[in-house]
Amino acid sequence: MTTDVYTTAPADGATVGDGTTLRSRAARRWRSARWTVLVVSALLVVVLLLSVSRPLTSAVPYSPDNPRDNGGRAVAEVLADQGVEVEHVTRVADALRAAGPGTTLLVVPAPYLLDEQAEALAGTEADVVLAGADGLLLERATDGVLERTPQLADPADPVEPGCELPVATAAGTSRLTPGITSSGGDATLCWADDAGNAVLGQVRHDVPTSSGTRVRTVTAVDDPAFLTNGAVLEDGNAALALHLLGAHERLVWLVQDPMDVTSAPDQAAPGGAILPPWAGAVGLWALLVALVAVLWRSRRLGRLVPENLPVVVRAAETTRGRGRLYRRSRSRGHAAAGLRAATADRLARRVGLPRSADATAVTDAVVRATGRPAREVADLLYGPPPADDAALTALARRLDTLESEVYRP
Amino acid sequence: MALTRRAVWLAAAGLVPVLLLPSAGTVLLWALVVVGLCALDAALAASPREVAVRRRVPASVRLGTTTTSELVLTNRSRRRLRALVRDAWPPSMLVDGVTGLRRTVAASTRHDVDLPPGESARVRTPLRPTRRGDRHAGEVTVRSHGPMGLAARQASLPVPGRVRVLPEFAARRHLPSRLARLRELDGRAAVQVRGEGTEFDSLREYVVGDDVRSIDWRATARRGDVVVRTWRPERDRRVVVVLDTGRTSAARIEASEGGASAGATRLEASIEAALLLAALADRAGDRVHVLAYDRALRGRVAGASGPRLLPALADTLAGLEPVLLETDWHGLVGQVRSRVTQRALVVLLTSLDPAAVESGLLPVVDQLAGTHQVVVAAVADAEVASLRSGRDDVAQVYDAAAAARGELERNAVAAVLRQRGAEVVEALPDDLAPQLADTYLALKAAGRL
Repeated sequence: MTTDVYTTAPADGATVGDGTTLRSRAARRWRSARWTVLVVSALLVVVLLLSVSRPLTSAVPYSPDNPRDNGGRAVAEVLADQGVEVEHVTRVADALRAAGPGTTLLVVPAPYLLDEQAEALAGTEADVVLAGADGLLLERATDGVLERTPQLADPADPVEPGCELPVATAAGTSRLTPGITSSGGDATLCWADDAGNAVLGQVRHDVPTSSGTRVRTVTAVDDPAFLTNGAVLEDGNAALALHLLGAHERLVWLVQDPMDVTSAPDQAAPGGAILPPWAGAVGLWALLVALVAVLWRSRRLGRLVPENLPVVVRAAETTRGRGRLYRRSRSRGHAAAGLRAATADRLARRVGLPRSADATAVTDAVVRATGRPAREVADLLYGPPPADDAALTALARRLDTLESEVYRP
Repeated sequence: MALTRRAVWLAAAGLVPVLLLPSAGTVLLWALVVVGLCALDAALAASPREVAVRRRVPASVRLGTTTTSELVLTNRSRRRLRALVRDAWPPSMLVDGVTGLRRTVAASTRHDVDLPPGESARVRTPLRPTRRGDRHAGEVTVRSHGPMGLAARQASLPVPGRVRVLPEFAARRHLPSRLARLRELDGRAAVQVRGEGTEFDSLREYVVGDDVRSIDWRATARRGDVVVRTWRPERDRRVVVVLDTGRTSAARIEASEGGASAGATRLEASIEAALLLAALADRAGDRVHVLAYDRALRGRVAGASGPRLLPALADTLAGLEPVLLETDWHGLVGQVRSRVTQRALVVLLTSLDPAAVESGLLPVVDQLAGTHQVVVAAVADAEVASLRSGRDDVAQVYDAAAAARGELERNAVAAVLRQRGAEVVEALPDDLAPQLADTYLALKAAGRL
């Protein structure tokens, strides 16, 4: 493409070009599209920024990034400062992938946990800390050794640990709500009241590994308040939380997303297994074809040629409107009078009467022309208005008949 | 830049590599291939702005006849031009005009051309106008395809063109019979029927059957032979035809009974009648003066006669459009009185809409009827006439009653106009022109011009 100016050359009456140059066309296109381009690009930048940046805080209860009273950010920050690698996950699959031997898996209250998810979490090789777990997860994780006894009241005074666990001795007294009992088996209960309801219960398993056996602990605290920002400073809660969660170098902090249904480490997003692996590529290809087809069809071969059209007003519309008015108001009298007058007018003209002729003259002339009884003609042309629509129709037909019987002399 | 169907097929062919190597990268690569090939193809296409276009189009064409718009395209670039050319015209000019919503592409305006460098081609677009008036051509769009036929460069070139669509003058088929009647009046026909005119023509010998009242006794005494005077219809009278282009002329009327779609406007029928009357009056030796008026003078033909009259008239009337304004009858009468001072036949082509006539024409008709012979010619509506005879159900009877009432009112208005000395002709669109011509002949025969 050259940058010569193509102009209309009327020398031989021929038109060459449309008087534009590459530069002027580009300038015109830019002028017409600049606002669209600006707005769309601004939107794109905003969307890009939003997708890259993650909100620093959340409002999810017991979440390590929630700075409110019901969040767990204080504990998470202190643990991170102490060199513990805190991994915040929201899906069971991610938790299972991250929780290996030598890690701590914290499960905060997860009311939407499914049966198979509880099973999967119970089978992990990490040490498990259950904060406020429901009965199902507790039973699966401890093989039924520990049980929940919910709806207990807070103890009025601080309670001594009453067990030999280092965690408990480090924490000292506690006023957390007790809610764990043991149904026999090898379980340690701490801060237990007289009825055997404890704040904390711990079960130790011996797990066979390649180099002998390893002890794996499952610790349950029924009251999850001990790790919240609002209550962590009360009594021995801080020591309890830091000891429980800082036992290993890595902490997997599972705050389950209610939409999460994964129960295996390799499970992808929901529905991912239904489509074949090449579906994404073929979908993109279909998008490409659709885009090209849109571009093919969207370019018009020159602009439309406008044409001014006259208004469409039917001359008969006023007549129809008047007829509809008659019908809606059921003015049979008016309608019949119109029909009769028009017929009388025509008949009078046919029999040669002037327009000024009166009813008697018209009746007499029509009687003479048709041989019908005078009363019948008078009734037809000047009688009372019809009583209903059927009578009006009949009258119209009879007027037609009468008109057809009178011929021009 | 425009893409073709082939570009879509090229994009679709990407399914093969995508299925062999299913990944997003393959699709991206194929998209780049498609974009690259299309861009290359467009870059290799001949420039549509280096095509010289010349248009040849008739200056005027009669409504309903077919003509052609001719484009001569010359490829002035150094590349071969494979192009799709569109010669755009308003829809009413097209042979395959848009009849419904589904047909949006007028194939008759599209032409494929294949031109080596420096050569010319001629493309013809058939045109069949369906509406009267000036029609301007749209732009000529040249879409120049590349050698692969994937993409094209497109430019719309302003090539001016105008066709004036003249009135159809379908009423001219009535002209021969009316001319024959005119010759009879003129006393030139084989059957000697003496004209009832008022102008003295000549003296001739009495033959049995002549009216004894026309014997010229003085000439008889001089010649010693019975001699009668003959008369001929007046010549060189003035006929002023006034077309009312106000709002009542914009109403659509049915041309014939039972028509499903709204037909042409009242003005079309008025123009037909005006053309026939003008042609007839010109042959009869009268001077024809045509005005079109609503609130301003929309067109005027005066002083033309003989073979120049009808072309001038058609040219002037071609551009008339109904105006949605109430006609200024005072101004109209003023126009007539200022242009014609002698007695003339003034034909007002309007409608007999009672409300419009009572407020507009009636107060001023006296001013005209005093000096001129006035004929009010009105276009009736066939749809109303068919409504008048509907008897199938109650709704139709009510409509018929309304139509009857309207007819009575129009008759009353016509009677009032006749009382004021005007002749009234009301007829369906197809009949108005011959009936007006007959009225003219009757007036001429009666010597009332």
